[in-house]
Amino acid sequence: MDDKTIREKVKAYITADLIRDPDYPLQDDEGIITGGMMDSFALAELAVFIENAFGVYIPDPDLTVEKMDTLNLIVARIMRDIQ
Amino acid sequence: MTFNLTFIAIFVIGGYIYSLILPKTWRKWVLFITSVLTVYVLQSPLLVRHMDFILPTATLLLVTLVWALTASQISRRDIITIVVLMMIITGLALMRLLPSEWRIFTASRPPDPFTVFLVIMPILVFTLFIHRQITPKTQPFILSIAILFIVIAFIILKTESLANALSAWLRQQEGRDPSFANPLTDLNWLGFSYVAFRLIHILRDRQTGKLPDIGLRDMHTYIIFFSSLTAGPIDRIERFQGDLDALPDMNGRDPARIVEGTTRIVVGIFKKFVVADSLALFALNTTNIEHVTSAGGMWILLYGYAFRLFFDFSGYSDIAIGIGILFGIRLPENFNRPYLRNTITAFWQSWHITLSNWVRFYIFSPLTRTMLRWRRKPSSDVIALIGLMTTMIIIGLWHGISLTFFMWGVWHGMGLFVHKIWSDRTRKWYNQFKKKEGQLRLWNWAGIFLTFHFVVLGWVWFALPDVSMAFSVLGKLFGVGF
Repeated sequence: MDDKTIREKVKAYITADLIRDPDYPLQDDEGIITGGMMDSFALAELAVFIENAFGVYIPDPDLTVEKMDTLNLIVARIMRDIQ
Repeated sequence: MTFNLTFIAIFVIGGYIYSLILPKTWRKWVLFITSVLTVYVLQSPLLVRHMDFILPTATLLLVTLVWALTASQISRRDIITIVVLMMIITGLALMRLLPSEWRIFTASRPPDPFTVFLVIMPILVFTLFIHRQITPKTQPFILSIAILFIVIAFIILKTESLANALSAWLRQQEGRDPSFANPLTDLNWLGFSYVAFRLIHILRDRQTGKLPDIGLRDMHTYIIFFSSLTAGPIDRIERFQGDLDALPDMNGRDPARIVEGTTRIVVGIFKKFVVADSLALFALNTTNIEHVTSAGGMWILLYGYAFRLFFDFSGYSDIAIGIGILFGIRLPENFNRPYLRNTITAFWQSWHITLSNWVRFYIFSPLTRTMLRWRRKPSSDVIALIGLMTTMIIIGLWHGISLTFFMWGVWHGMGLFVHKIWSDRTRKWYNQFKKKEGQLRLWNWAGIFLTFHFVVLGWVWFALPDVSMAFSVLGKLFGVGF
């Protein structure tokens, strides 16, 4: 699976299920948590989605604002383990 | 005993000598030995015989045991560390032979050094034996047992009735009157709350394969690092190890680092010993509430308590972080302007940050992820409610297992849940609303006011020892019950 496919899937999930606004124009480098769009509970939901969709397990201590705040960071984290 | 101005002055002068004079290769050993000695020095005197020597020693043995359970191999340096540890412990016991004014490292006269040696030696040998017996197959189970053991010890020490029973039993063993049992004077184990959480972090990260390889000396330094031993911050081992590894290359004479560390300590001293101690005079407590005759007066006590708590704890964190900087260890921040946050979620990302993170990593996240994986899972809102309530109740009970701390946890769990429901359902509207700059500013200020008062009202549960007193104060804040 390439970067583009993963990015689209993650973006669709975040806007539809976590932000709950599928039309929201989420930018690649936009602070999703620091911008108040997602909370720590949503991070747990995102981690389970990533596990199911891409088979990548992100350990709990990695579910932090610094490591998961933007679409770029999330996709890079998934790509790291897929590769 | 906690930090007082004398200890802070010793650490500051020690930090300057360490930075300016000490050979770079000695730095890690100095941090280790200072930390081990601090475990004994800061332990307050206890009334059960030798307990103020036994508990610090138990901390060191517990850390050694956890290291043995998690280490992948034993190096020559680890053996040297065990020998040094043994020498320090028996050396401290040897101080029994000195006159009392020379026994500066222990709270009271230590036990007989020969007995100490005979007890400690087999325990350390047994620890190394356990290390050899662990296989990849048995390790997860043994680590779970170790976590359970720490949790049980924590529950016993934090539950008044259980700690009281243990204290009475210990007194009985000495043939003394158990009716004078008091955990505060008999079993006050310095830094155990923080040590326990760091140990669980190590054990759990080994289970999930996240723990880096770390030697015994560095693990001790991490768990009992002298500036964060008694009141945090709760660092993470991989971050702390990075700082330790950078110590031999650190420029000890870097003026920017020394000025930064010193300034941080001075700011912390001012916050803790000037501002917080002054506010303590009119902060909410069982005595002050007796003298209040109006709702306004009660609010002043509550504001006094809220700011005293903040300046005391954040001042303490500043001192710990400042001392850490002087020694080349950059401990994580614990506070980030918490009373200026416009939501309760943002408050918990900026108040006692390292404790909140710990609980999020090891309780909230695994719990909610497990529920989210269930085939027949409850709704997302129910999972959030269970996760938030459990997390906040555990944070409450970590301070002491009592009904008031439980209520404080429930208060914040409910606050976080209500905010989550609200923000999930208004996010679309808010994304449009936040484009209106003037109104947004007003909205943010309203949020800060509301969040601050929610937190402040919650402190009533935290400050008072029983529920009926807390209800009475909450009533009086709104003019009921005078």
